[in-house]
Amino acid sequence: MRPYFFESRYRQLQAWAIPAPRQPAASMQPRQQPLSEPGPRGRRPVAPLLALLLLLALQRTGAAPAGPGESEKPGDNQEAYETAYEDYDYGLPSEFELPPWFSNLKTPGGPLLPEGILRQGALAAVHFLNFREGSPSDLQMLSTVYRASVWETAEKEQHVDVAFTTERFKPEGDKEKPLAECAARVIFRKGKPRPAVNIYCEGLAEKNKRQEDYLLYKHLKQLKPLLGVVHIPDRNGYIDPSLRPLWDLAALGSSYVMWDKTTNVLRYSLVQLTSVKQWKTDGEIDFDYTVQLHEFSTQEIIPCRIHLVWYPGKPLKVKYRCQETPGQASEVEEGSGGMVLTELTNN
Amino acid sequence: METQLIFPAALFPATLSERARRCQSLEPPPRPPRGTAPRCKGGGQLLGTARRLLSWESLKGPRTFSQSQLTFPTGCSMKGLLILSVLLGAVLASEDFVGHQVLRISVADEAQVQKVTELEELEHLQLDFWRGPAQPGSPIDVRVPFPSIQAVKVFLEAHGIEYTIMIEDVQSLLDEEREQMFAFQARAASTDTFNYATYHTLEEIYGFMDLLVAEHPQLVSKLQIGNTYEGRPIYVLKFSTGGNNRPAIWIDTGIHSREWVTQASGVWFAKKITQDYGQDPAFTSILDNMDIFLEIVTNPDGFAFTHSKNRLWRKTRSITAGSSCVGVDPNRNWDAGFGLAGASSNPCSETYHGKFANSEVEVKSIVDFVKNHGNIKAFISIHSYSQLLLYPYGYTTESAADQAELDQLAESAVKALSSLYGTKFKYGSIIKAIYRASGGTIDWTYNQGIKYSYTFELRDTGRYGFLLPASQIIPTAQETWLALQTIMEHTLNHPY
Repeated sequence: MRPYFFESRYRQLQAWAIPAPRQPAASMQPRQQPLSEPGPRGRRPVAPLLALLLLLALQRTGAAPAGPGESEKPGDNQEAYETAYEDYDYGLPSEFELPPWFSNLKTPGGPLLPEGILRQGALAAVHFLNFREGSPSDLQMLSTVYRASVWETAEKEQHVDVAFTTERFKPEGDKEKPLAECAARVIFRKGKPRPAVNIYCEGLAEKNKRQEDYLLYKHLKQLKPLLGVVHIPDRNGYIDPSLRPLWDLAALGSSYVMWDKTTNVLRYSLVQLTSVKQWKTDGEIDFDYTVQLHEFSTQEIIPCRIHLVWYPGKPLKVKYRCQETPGQASEVEEGSGGMVLTELTNN
Repeated sequence: METQLIFPAALFPATLSERARRCQSLEPPPRPPRGTAPRCKGGGQLLGTARRLLSWESLKGPRTFSQSQLTFPTGCSMKGLLILSVLLGAVLASEDFVGHQVLRISVADEAQVQKVTELEELEHLQLDFWRGPAQPGSPIDVRVPFPSIQAVKVFLEAHGIEYTIMIEDVQSLLDEEREQMFAFQARAASTDTFNYATYHTLEEIYGFMDLLVAEHPQLVSKLQIGNTYEGRPIYVLKFSTGGNNRPAIWIDTGIHSREWVTQASGVWFAKKITQDYGQDPAFTSILDNMDIFLEIVTNPDGFAFTHSKNRLWRKTRSITAGSSCVGVDPNRNWDAGFGLAGASSNPCSETYHGKFANSEVEVKSIVDFVKNHGNIKAFISIHSYSQLLLYPYGYTTESAADQAELDQLAESAVKALSSLYGTKFKYGSIIKAIYRASGGTIDWTYNQGIKYSYTFELRDTGRYGFLLPASQIIPTAQETWLALQTIMEHTLNHPY
């Protein structure tokens, strides 16, 4: 299987087109944004000129990155924290090789950052992966985090290298769920959402995905528009099989929103599709809907209005607006329409 | 609890059942002379309505509930029975009563009676008189379809005729009663026919408890430890084979009402206990030496609310003075690090800790129980979701004194759990494994000296979250039971 690699939107801040040989990191002080985008092998060539310029710029400033992992690793004067998060009886998948930029810190002593940060990072990476893959029939779910390193830079950025497996969002019935293996670097700027993500995965099947997406697209075109209040899944967790594609598409759009909102302390899961405002299927699918997200550490239920445009194989276009006030969402009765979202932020 | 299956007409107060009772014949009776009590006027109207309904295109046919279960009050002929059941079916199937209101008209004199009678003549209004105009002093009940409401009210007001709105929306009443009816039918006659693979209402779970106690009076008893904010009883099942205040194990589920798999698992645990005692040697040994207390619905108000209004309600339903927001997070309301970081002071927040520790009666009841009992040795509080087994603390990074033992026991419990279906659980202290949380249950119980204090977070890890499909209830309960048994055995073998 061909490995997949995606980088987050801070593309203009990237610095490497090819992995450089490793160099001792002692004198390197990591910089902020330019180093937020390590570029392991297989990166899609995007704006190579820009990358070259940046590379030159960085070399001039003396902070030339040796390899993605190296200069980002904490130097001697920086505090480093490691949480080797090994799963109990379920060892590392043997064939998966961690990419060279994946840090393997082993610094004895020092306080440990809460393990929550690992989950934040892994989940942000999965949401981002789903968004960039753009495939509602092949959405991934975080399965097991089995290795991670996390450290904080002087600029209060939290860098998380996390290796994990994913499984398919769509339940496969009783069959053994296929797993993909991923390694991601997620960088949180403290308190700010939309972490920078670089993710590298093996085991995501490309061919089937395209076919399934197209089938899903055809199914969706035939779906009768059901405008108004819906509950998918319903209160008992049940999803009508004929509505499953709608849920998958809604989940795809939600992945973008959830990545965009994730911070070093807040992470999200998708709860329910609660209303369909608009549904157009000539050519692209134009879908305007509301979901409820579960914000994990605060336990809040956040309603979000999402508007997406999707066509198989094309990148997803999505805008959204979430209700921000805490607690009021829980006062809204189901389907009572207590929330009026007339503006959508343009993303 | 009686489980007779009465014809649900009994659930339709004073309306359809009353009319049924009055039904003596099917022929529309001649208009009774003034001064006599209406006889079968309702019945005639019943038939009239039936005819009207039958001709509506929206008629979907009767529901599939078994009509053989319908028993009728005496006095109706077989044909009337058939018509009535069709009507009922039509009424239940048709969704066309939205916005319909039932008005009670009080007529002051003959002239007003005459006026209302004139109203009756106007076919286009499609009025349905449940209690027709008779004489002054007799109230007149009429169902008015939504399009006619304004016209009728204007007419009545213009003639100075008084009326009140008896039923604001006929459809919602029907919906409610239909739900009750189906719930009625779903009610099991014994805990062996109870459906464990589906989610139940509060009434059904309370009914289940009574059945269980009735079936195993030597083993199971039901205690009421208090009343909720809204006045519902709070029940705890006690499983005991004797002794006097034996060392005990406490298990609670459903403290956060939206975590439906936990209450459902609690029901399953209750049944499991009665099944395993005397059959499984290890478990029998536990129950021969210790008592088990099981609180299945720890937050009844919240649970009822998740059924009626908001499936994702988490907190209690207590009103906070000075705020429009309702409810306190019962797992932030305990007296352990109360109000510290890890809870919110905003009443609108899902983790609002309340005005003071134990402000919530649902929490206070357990606190009082635990203190009065004085001999609880293990305390397990069950939540969902995340697949975690947690031990104290949540409000501080300081390790619990018994951290090493708790950690090791957690490891064994999690191993036992995953042995069944391979479900992966992680374990650790609350603050490390999930997030900082203050005022939590097991932090308090641990500080009280209950060493084996654990919190479970059951399936899943986010695919369905709180909306876990009912098909996963039994597997979840089964695997969790293995972990619980591990903890209970350890508690038995390590008295302190």
